[in-house]
Amino acid sequence: MKLTRRDLLTLGGGVTTGLLFTPVPWKLLDDTSIWTQNWPWIPQPARGPVEVKNSFCALCPNGCGMRVRLAAGWPVGVSGMPHHPVNQGALCPLGFGAHQLNWHPRRLRQVRHHGRASSWTEALGAFRKACAAGPVAIIDGYPGRAASSLFQSFSRRHGSYGVTLCAEERALGPYETWSGVPATALGYDLENTATIVSFGAPLLDGWSAPGRFTRLWSERSAGVTNPQLRLIQVEASQSRTAACAWRWVSIAPGSEAALAAGLARALHEEHRASENVPMPPTTLAEAATRSGLSEDAIRELARTMVARGPVLAIAAAPEPAVAALNIVLGAVGARGGIVRRRQHAESYASADSVKGPFRAVLIDSSVPGEFALRTDAEVFRFAAWEDPAVHADWWLPAPGFLEEPSDIPAAPASSIETYALAVALASPPPEVRSAAQFLAQVNPSLASVEKVIHERCQQLFAARTGHLHREQSTAVANLKSAEALEKEFRSGAVWMGDPPRTGGVRCQLREWPAQQAMDAPHAATWTGGWIPAVLPPLATKLYQESSLREPPARSEI
Amino acid sequence: MKTRYGMVIDVDRCTGCGACMVACAAENNVPPGSPRVTPRTGITPMLVHKVSNGADGEGRREAFLPVTCMQCEHETPCVSVCPQQAVQLDPATGIVMQMPQRCLGCRYCMTACPYHARYFNWWDPAWPQGMEKSLNPGVAVRMRGVVEKCNLCHARLHAAQEKAAAAGKREINPHDYVPACVEACPTRAITFGNLADEKDPASQAARSPEAFRLLARLGTEPKVYYRSTRPWVRALAEPDTGRKEVQHG
Repeated sequence: MKLTRRDLLTLGGGVTTGLLFTPVPWKLLDDTSIWTQNWPWIPQPARGPVEVKNSFCALCPNGCGMRVRLAAGWPVGVSGMPHHPVNQGALCPLGFGAHQLNWHPRRLRQVRHHGRASSWTEALGAFRKACAAGPVAIIDGYPGRAASSLFQSFSRRHGSYGVTLCAEERALGPYETWSGVPATALGYDLENTATIVSFGAPLLDGWSAPGRFTRLWSERSAGVTNPQLRLIQVEASQSRTAACAWRWVSIAPGSEAALAAGLARALHEEHRASENVPMPPTTLAEAATRSGLSEDAIRELARTMVARGPVLAIAAAPEPAVAALNIVLGAVGARGGIVRRRQHAESYASADSVKGPFRAVLIDSSVPGEFALRTDAEVFRFAAWEDPAVHADWWLPAPGFLEEPSDIPAAPASSIETYALAVALASPPPEVRSAAQFLAQVNPSLASVEKVIHERCQQLFAARTGHLHREQSTAVANLKSAEALEKEFRSGAVWMGDPPRTGGVRCQLREWPAQQAMDAPHAATWTGGWIPAVLPPLATKLYQESSLREPPARSEI
Repeated sequence: MKTRYGMVIDVDRCTGCGACMVACAAENNVPPGSPRVTPRTGITPMLVHKVSNGADGEGRREAFLPVTCMQCEHETPCVSVCPQQAVQLDPATGIVMQMPQRCLGCRYCMTACPYHARYFNWWDPAWPQGMEKSLNPGVAVRMRGVVEKCNLCHARLHAAQEKAAAAGKREINPHDYVPACVEACPTRAITFGNLADEKDPASQAARSPEAFRLLARLGTEPKVYYRSTRPWVRALAEPDTGRKEVQHG
């Protein structure tokens, strides 16, 4: 029998058709799929003993308490610390991915001078030379820490010290001007307020410590027609806070000061102003024209505000008219209003007001990236992550997330004084140094951060006031020694001072403050005005893989 | 006692912060999106949608609707269509389990899911160099070409069961098993628990007159409930009965 081309084609076709009715091609397809899905370079989680430790987030000044899960010694998960008296187990969305930040591609791992690789020896030499030639300035973004006191000690001998405050503390600036009490010692007594009038402050979107107001709102206001806590949001657009507020009052952009003056005038006219404060020069008609509300609507809003007290007005930025409205409302120094949480506090010079000429400016890693100082001095910038948009002569690699021990002072605008210690839970890269370590090399007489923390623990123990919060609360007076107190701190306890006393702030206001344009409200990034140079890679879930939020302009995921 | 895990999401308490989304991804080793990723191709087992009543100006009202796998109890659509038995309804817990090892990547389940709560791994899972040290050792990384979804943090259930077994108990302590999204919510908007237990807070919340389920008319008996006092939010549950506008996340 002769084998023809036709026979071969028939056989081939028959075999192919027959194979389709067997499991072979489907099994091959399946296996090929599995083989190509399991390449050896697909990451596998690290194996090792798993443990949970307490620490605190020092990425922004809110200092949220965290429970950190570690596997094989590496942080593999973060959750909130339920016993923390301020954030109460809540974290911002970025905090849940913060343990991945230390491996961000923009992590700074080497000293850089004008873009070129350099060394600590050269950086130290340059800074010593600058110190010898003239005054230097140190800029701190997280005042009140042990490291901050070292910066101040250094500055007393070598130059000036300035701080960058976050939006919540800057908004308290007018009260500092009128009462003399530093803004860093003031706070909002939200826990005892019945009505809050927010002038654009993102109270539910990254304002102050994440759990503080959101928990209050959730328990006392959310979804209730006549809530225990009334949140009135005065804002030009429907922000997240406005969407969730008991009432949203839509006004013309930039008319917050005019409306505050109009509300004060309406309260004066109806004899509802609780203190003898000057009548605003703005008439109701002017306030109505500028805000876009009617005169009747302003009067009605004023009545609604005071219908249930205590009432508190909160501004997004330093706005003297809103501060003056609080005086009219009797909210300054009163329960449920602006309170003084600390008796002894320093007033810090703003970083913008630190005047030269300086030979060098050292900027701590706690200073947010958007801070730019106009100076001809040589800039030494500590940072854990490089930010190409920021000018610096020297980029100095600093510890990242949970890579250095630090003490955690009270959160900005908190009515309660707190103190805690963040223990280091991650190993920093070998080239990393903190600004405090750097200055100690320049001036060896400077104490270490650990020593200052130890002294602070001794002072707290000697004062014997307040309580330590862990799963259970303990009075400091019941502890046996300062060492026991420090040991409690190192295991995650939070010290909470006594409740603030009313009457600790008295503002003198002779005339109604002149209207000024409010600062532009910060982008809602859940970090307040604290815009980080980089975001945790999982922030793609928020900014790219959903349309929940617009990505922040200057942060890299 | 019969166990049927589920949750009740209080829409009135959701501020749309997105903490649940990030906490879910971190817990379950979901990789960050590639530079090309979009809301359509991303992996977000918990996805918060922004919704509105459709009005303009001061009458406009917005809310946030977290959507995850609804853990359908009856004729679970994804289970019905899977040719590989890669999806199963666990009779012991009521959790709809996705097993990526069995998944062929045909994506029938994605088509069948009425809630669009399933996601396909279009790319090899990748993290920046060194970041694999930050992965949760309790959850395996899924490979390219398979579908994934919310398993109600099944690894946490396993850990709670192991803890109970070590203590000589058959039942877990409910406090030991809380999914990551529930734990992360700063307003405590999500109540998780055993819907089959009438005393469980989640079960009680699910029986509230203000509770509702998405697309309940399909009869799949989802075990994720929502709650809102706002009628226009409740109307979102059935798309043809009052919804005017929804921005998909």
